[in-house]
Amino acid sequence: MSFVKELTKGLIKENPIFVIVLGMCPTLATSTSVNNAIGMGMAATFVLVCSNVMISLIKNITPDKIRIPVYVVVIAAFVSVVDMVMGAYLPELHKSLGLFIPLIVVNCIILGRAEAFANKNNVLNSLADGIGMGLGFTLALVVVSTFREILGNGTWAGLRVMPKTYDPMLIAILAPGAFITLGLLMAAINLLKERFQ
Amino acid sequence: MKLYLKLGLILLAFCVVATALLAFVNSATKPKIEELKSKAAEEARSALIPDAVFELKTIAVPEADSIEYYEAKDEKTGELKGYTFTAAKAGYSSNVKTMAALDPDFKIINIQVIEQAETPGLGANCIQESFSAKFKGLAPDELLVDKDGGKIKSLTGATITTRAIANSLRETVQLIQAELSAEAEKEPKP
Repeated sequence: MSFVKELTKGLIKENPIFVIVLGMCPTLATSTSVNNAIGMGMAATFVLVCSNVMISLIKNITPDKIRIPVYVVVIAAFVSVVDMVMGAYLPELHKSLGLFIPLIVVNCIILGRAEAFANKNNVLNSLADGIGMGLGFTLALVVVSTFREILGNGTWAGLRVMPKTYDPMLIAILAPGAFITLGLLMAAINLLKERFQ
Repeated sequence: MKLYLKLGLILLAFCVVATALLAFVNSATKPKIEELKSKAAEEARSALIPDAVFELKTIAVPEADSIEYYEAKDEKTGELKGYTFTAAKAGYSSNVKTMAALDPDFKIINIQVIEQAETPGLGANCIQESFSAKFKGLAPDELLVDKDGGKIKSLTGATITTRAIANSLRETVQLIQAELSAEAEKEPKP
């Protein structure tokens, strides 16, 4: 029962972007197009699941005082291993996700979930939390990038959706567009939450 | 005091395990990654100058990395078809790496951006064919963006990306040209 609950909470109720507001830097940087958003989301989900499981496994041998440096070592090592293995055996995937790998190391969702969840819960629940939070992160990125890509480039996931005569609003894919879109979306979500409560 | 020593040693143990793991994975994957890279570069070269055999040449540059380029000769006749090389320069948000092919008169046959992480929708449009087309047939000193007095029209909102590509190509072509004309002077043709 709790496995399902931990799995689904990341999607909406505790969405890492819109509700917990973690990992803003990669969100702003990679939500310029839907393809980028999916790539970043998938790569981060993978690392998040692995690091959550690993940190949950070693939680009993990690002294409390040095837990943060230990997490950093575990996460950085994982990301590098993923990068190298993917580069050698899945070159096509590495080509599209490789760009995001250095960004994952500094993604605070990963460290945040290690600290807030994985070091207090068992391996199974940490696995569920990692999958749920990762998918929630991906979902949020896709929503933000949908608005930005359609307005700023006239396409969705590379497919043209606006008529050829549409003059793209360049600001939507530049940095200010990221802040404006994210702010408006958060406002809309808070409004909806108030209505339903 | 004892506690801190213990904590330090535990952290050291974690780092040793992590480093050993990384060293192991690196040695296991490195040859494979290098192989894939050279294969990809080879494919890009043959796409730019088809039906040719390539020979690697290097130019030593004082106080910088040496420049590598490939001389392309026709598969059958052995006639010189041109040169290919890669050039890189910092663009707006990434290092932009471009592979280009030159004809024997050092005019651009075609270019292909092989590595970039520029802004999607702006600078990242440099991977499109309509962008490569702007460089076709240009002589080395024409490789300048319009804002710097050249002929290449910048991508909308991405002058920096366009400039990085144009400048990196121009500098490398001029080096190769200088090297080859110096060589030609040394050994006059019979």
